[in-house]
Amino acid sequence: MSALTAILRKDLRLELRTGESTIALVFLSLLILTVLTFALNAPGGDTATAAGALWVAMIFAGTIGATRALIGEWENGCIRGLLLSPADRAAIYCAKLVASFVFMVLAEVAATMLMVLFFNLDFRIRLLRLGPVLAMGALGFAALATLLAAIQVRVRAGDLLLPLLIVPVFVPALIAGVKASNAALAGLPFAAFSQSLKILAACDILFLAGGYLLFEHVITED
Amino acid sequence: MGTKAAYRLGVATLGVMTAAIFMVFVYVPTEAQEGIVQRIFYFHVPCAWVAFAAFALVAISGVFYLWFGQQVWDDLGYAAAEVGMVFCTLVLITGSVWAKPIWGAWWTWDSRLTTTLVLWLLYAGYLALRAMADEVPQVGRLAAVVGIVAAADVPVIIVSVRLWRTIHPAVIVTRQGSHGLEDPRMIATLLVSMAAFTVLGTWLLMLRFATLRTTARIINVGRQLALMEAEMVDMGAQARGS
Repeated sequence: MSALTAILRKDLRLELRTGESTIALVFLSLLILTVLTFALNAPGGDTATAAGALWVAMIFAGTIGATRALIGEWENGCIRGLLLSPADRAAIYCAKLVASFVFMVLAEVAATMLMVLFFNLDFRIRLLRLGPVLAMGALGFAALATLLAAIQVRVRAGDLLLPLLIVPVFVPALIAGVKASNAALAGLPFAAFSQSLKILAACDILFLAGGYLLFEHVITED
Repeated sequence: MGTKAAYRLGVATLGVMTAAIFMVFVYVPTEAQEGIVQRIFYFHVPCAWVAFAAFALVAISGVFYLWFGQQVWDDLGYAAAEVGMVFCTLVLITGSVWAKPIWGAWWTWDSRLTTTLVLWLLYAGYLALRAMADEVPQVGRLAAVVGIVAAADVPVIIVSVRLWRTIHPAVIVTRQGSHGLEDPRMIATLLVSMAAFTVLGTWLLMLRFATLRTTARIINVGRQLALMEAEMVDMGAQARGS
């Protein structure tokens, strides 16, 4: 536990000083939302398109920017020190996962604001209902991305590989997340998206369990 | 598993496949509503079966590889992924050919089509990793992890994709209890086709597996040769020194 908090505190402090991941994530989200607004030219108040655009921004910004906390360890061989330390591999995984999750949540708050502006929605209390949906999506994505990013760094031109690995696996969470976000934005009753939330929860559990159990195998070098 | 076994299986494949082709084109009666197009079904369904079985094998051998660490499991998983990819591609192509006259479109976002496409993408990612991480020593372990995650993802994909409507015909089992294959000759043809594609898939798997085993052996021999060479150089240096 202490290893987890130590690594996490280090990563968050690093992020506070440079803002590298969060700024990259926010700007990428901004760009993707702008591009989608131009490309789709949706009428104002179209919640379905807005929800879709938000998730596209989350996935593609996330694949590029969410895993810096982990990938950064390979610069200057910091990962060697981390692996040599008595810290449990699972603790390293959890710390990196929480860091990615924090960066993604920050970026999603910004992306949601931008989405409301770009798609002519209203700043209403119902936006808060989007909170749990996006948080669950970010958690699943961070869990998956942290595991697969550890694969990415081992491969030459791995940054090309990461989206190929992440996006298909994340598809079920994407489908459920877009559906739930749209329902939340349109102000439908909770029953309308409880099934989507269940699928999102199932994805989260699957990705977390998979990452927790398998991270050791991708991180160990021999 | 020698070349002789692969040869015998190849001959068996030829025999059963010829029988299946004969049954599909000559023996089986034409379906009343869909007409001649329906015959592609006898290739479509067996391809899907082989693809799914191969992908399951990828995950199983991935688990065994992480557990026991023997190269055999890694090679088996790699071979299965390649074979599964070929048949998954065939499923998508034969499905499209059938869908155009029946549904009036090459592609619809029906739940089973979508699931198959996502599966295809998953294993395309797996094979991309294998291709790009060629010279990474731990490529087997990385691939095993991806194979396991992909297979574990399949049930959630099926459930999530079902959130959309489905128009895929329910053959074999429907909720009403009818299987859609009225004539016993249709069932016989389907079973023979299933057998034919199963042996074809197994044969291809064996060939790929044998190639990968040979590659592993060559790499091993090369490594031992390099070690021996280093020893010789060492001994030569010592001899000269004394």
